[in-house]
Amino acid sequence: MTMDMEEMLAKIKDRQWALADIDWDAPGVELISEDFKPKLKAFMADLCWIENVGARGFAAMAKKAPNPTIAEIYRYFHAEEQRHANAELALLKRWGMLEEGEIPEPNVNIRMAIEWLDTYADDMPLSVLGTVIPMLEVALDGALLKFLLEEVHDPVCHQVFEKINNDESRHIAVDFEVLDMIGHAKARKLAIDFVSNLASPGLIIGGLMYLPLLNRMRNNIVDMGLQPEKLYAAMNRFEKLGRRGEFTHRVPLFQVLRVHSKMVVDSEHPYHLLANSLVWASEFYPRALFRPIPTWFKELTHEPVTKGVKNGMNAA
Amino acid sequence: MTVTELPVKKARTKKPVKVHTTLVIGAGFIGLGTAIKLREAGIDDLVILERADRVGGTWRDASYPGAACDIPSQLYSFSFAKNPGWSRAYSPSAEILEHIEELAERFDLVKDIQFNTAVTKLEFDKREARWEVTAGRKKFYARTVVVASGPLSDASLPNITGIEDFEGAKVLSARWDNDYDFAGKSIAVIGTGASAIQIIPELVKVAGSVKVFQRTPGWVMPRLDVETPEIAKAVFEKLPVAQQVTRSALFLAHEAAATGLVWNTPITSLIQQIGKLHIRMTVKDKWLRRQLTPEFRAGCKRMLMSSDYYPALQADNCKLITWPIAKITPKGLQTCDALQHEVDAIVFATGYDVHLGGPPYPITGLDGQLLQEEWSGHPEAYKSASAHGYPNLFFTCGPNSGPGHNSLLVYAQGQIEYAVSGIRAIVEQDLRWIDVKKDVQDSYNVSMQKRLRSTTWMSGCSSWYLTEDGFNASMYPGFATQYLRQMQDFRIRDYEVASNAATRLWNIPRDLAAV
Repeated sequence: MTMDMEEMLAKIKDRQWALADIDWDAPGVELISEDFKPKLKAFMADLCWIENVGARGFAAMAKKAPNPTIAEIYRYFHAEEQRHANAELALLKRWGMLEEGEIPEPNVNIRMAIEWLDTYADDMPLSVLGTVIPMLEVALDGALLKFLLEEVHDPVCHQVFEKINNDESRHIAVDFEVLDMIGHAKARKLAIDFVSNLASPGLIIGGLMYLPLLNRMRNNIVDMGLQPEKLYAAMNRFEKLGRRGEFTHRVPLFQVLRVHSKMVVDSEHPYHLLANSLVWASEFYPRALFRPIPTWFKELTHEPVTKGVKNGMNAA
Repeated sequence: MTVTELPVKKARTKKPVKVHTTLVIGAGFIGLGTAIKLREAGIDDLVILERADRVGGTWRDASYPGAACDIPSQLYSFSFAKNPGWSRAYSPSAEILEHIEELAERFDLVKDIQFNTAVTKLEFDKREARWEVTAGRKKFYARTVVVASGPLSDASLPNITGIEDFEGAKVLSARWDNDYDFAGKSIAVIGTGASAIQIIPELVKVAGSVKVFQRTPGWVMPRLDVETPEIAKAVFEKLPVAQQVTRSALFLAHEAAATGLVWNTPITSLIQQIGKLHIRMTVKDKWLRRQLTPEFRAGCKRMLMSSDYYPALQADNCKLITWPIAKITPKGLQTCDALQHEVDAIVFATGYDVHLGGPPYPITGLDGQLLQEEWSGHPEAYKSASAHGYPNLFFTCGPNSGPGHNSLLVYAQGQIEYAVSGIRAIVEQDLRWIDVKKDVQDSYNVSMQKRLRSTTWMSGCSSWYLTEDGFNASMYPGFATQYLRQMQDFRIRDYEVASNAATRLWNIPRDLAAV
C-alpha cells in the first residue's frame, strides 16, 4: 500500500501545536521525587539533544527527498523535532532543573553525532539517511519516551508526550514509506550506493559514532532502572516495520542495521565488548578537538512566546 | 396602424457611438509606451483606460521602502524615450514613477487617458467588428485593443490560517501602507523574494526588531548600486549616442547571461558559484549560510539582486526564521517549532497575483468564447501578442513573453512594435479584423514548449512562472534579440483577415466576411 504523501502533508499541517497550548504551571511537579531529579535531568538532557540530532537529520533529508512533497514533509519534521526538543526543555524548566539561561550539555557521544551530522549529513545519500533516521527514531525515541512515561507521573509530562508521540507516529509512518521507496530502486543502484558509501569516511566515522551512542543510551537507561528489554522491543520494531514494506528488505543498509540490532538486543553477544569499549574510549576523546556546537542549537528554547530578537540570536 | 411603429421609433433614437481606432488598457509604463508609438504611427484616435487616478502602474503602487528596479536603469526605459537623468545605477521606484509621469507629460498623453476607469469586461462585436469595453457603468468602443494592464498589477493577502484574526497591522508589500510608522516596532516579514530583499534592509534600519520568515531561499547576486556621476548625466543629456552605447553594452551583457539563466548549462553552475561566493563572503555563520543557499538551479526562479540583504539579515535586530509557519495568531505568528512570535505588524512580501490565465476581467471573443476559460489550463498565444478567436486584440506581457535575464521593457518594446504594426495593417488596409490562424498559433506553441525543455525554468523548481501542473506559459525561451526579431516581423499572412472592401464588393453579411 502506498501512502498519499499530499494527504500526509495536509494532515501534518493540520496537527500543529504550540508550547503555549500547554499550561506549564499546572500542578504535578511535586510528583517527582528529589532524589530522582538529577537522573531525570541527565536523561531529559540526552533526550532533548537526540531530538535536536533528529531535527538536523531531517534537515539533511529534505535536501535528498525523492519529490517536493516529501521534501516539504521533511521540512515540517525538522521543525517538529525542534518542537519536541523545545517542549522537553520546557519540562526541564517546569521541574526547576534549569538555571536562568541554562541549556543542558550534550554528552560526548551526542557531541560526536552533532559534529558528524554537521560535517557529513548533507552529503549522505537518501539511502543512508533514510535508513539510519528511522532506526534512531524507533529505537531511541521510542524506548526513551516509553520509559519516561512509566517513570514520571507528572500529568503535564504525559500531556506533552502524548502530543510528541502523535507527531512521532507520523514521522515513523513516512520514514518507513520512504525506506520502501528507496528499496524500489534498481538492485544495481542500491549496491553501488551502498558499496561506494561503505568506503566513504562519512559512513565509517558515522558507524564509529553510532555504535557507542546506541550503547551509551542503552547503558544509561539500564542504570536508571529500565529493563533493557524495552529498548530491545523498540529496536525489534525497526525490523518489524521494515518487513511490512514490500521493497525495504532490498536496502543493504537496512539489512546491516537489522543484523546489528539483533546483536545489540542480545546482551550476551560479544558485540557489546566492542561497543562498550567504544563508549569507554569516547570518554577520553579530547573535548578541545570538538568544533564549537553549531549555531542551530541556539534555536532551542523553553519560552512559548518570543517578542523581538534576542542579542546573539540573529545568526542562528 | 400604431402597433408596429414602436420598434421603428426606438431604432431611430439609438445614438451613434464613438468608435476609437485603438483602446489601450492601463496607463503604466507599457500602456504609455504603446500610446507614444501609436501616435508616432499616425494613429491619433486612441483612448487609454486607467483604473487609478494617476499614471505609473506597478511603479505607482510599489511604494514600499527600498523599492527599486533590479535591472540597470539605463535598460529600464524605452529606447525611444530614454531618460538621461537617472540618479543611480538602479533607480528607486519614486524616480521611475517620476520618469513615467514625465513621459505622459512630454508626449501629451494625459488628454487621452480616462482615469478612475477600471475595465470590467471586453466583448468582441462580430457584426460591428469592434470591441465593446465595459468599465463599470461606462462603455467604450474600439476597432482594436491593446492589453497593457500588466502582469504584476494585483496583489492580495496570502491564504494563511488565522490571518483574519491578527490584531496588528497587516501590510502588503505591493500596496504599502505609507502611514504606518515602523520605528521601534516588532515586525515580521513573510517572504524572501524580490520585494522582501529590498524591504528588509530598510526595515532593519528603523524597526525595533525584524523577523524574516523564509520558505525557500533564492539566488542573490550582488548589486552594485552607485550614484550616476553628474558628468555622465551631462554627457547623456548632450550626447544621446553615448547613452545609446551604454544601453547597448548593458543589453549585450544581459544577453550573455541568458546562456546561463535561460538555458540550463554549465554557465548556470558558474552563476551558482558566484551566488555561493556572495554568501560565503558576506555571511559569517555556517548554519545561516546553509539556510540561505538555494537548492534549485539559478534562473529557475526569479534572480534576486541585492548587496544589502545578507548584511541586514545579520543585523542585531534581525533574525531569519526558516521554520514553517503553522498559523497566524491574534498577536503574531506560530511556527512549527511550537513557538509564538509576537509582533506589532506583519509585512506580507508574498508577491503578486500573477495573471497566467489571462487578465483579471473577462474577454469574450469572436464566437462568444471566453479567453479565461481557454487559458485556464495552458494559456497559448501567437508571439505572445495575439490569440486565435480574439481578433484585433494585442497583448503585452502575454503568454511566453517573460525575460529571465534582461529588461522587461526591452521585451515590452517589441510587443508594442508588434501591436502597432498590426493596428497599422488594420487601419491602412481598411480591415474589419485580423485573427491569428489556429494552425499558426499551434505550431508556434509546439515550438515554444519544445524550446522550453532545456531551460532553467523547467529544471524542477516550483515558481510563479509555471501553472499548477508545471506548464510554462510565461517565459520566452531565447535571447531578447530573438524575441525582438520575431516581434519586428509582423506577417499578415499568419492571420485570417476580414476586410471591409470584400464586404462592400460582394455585399455579403458582415459577420461572414472573413476570407
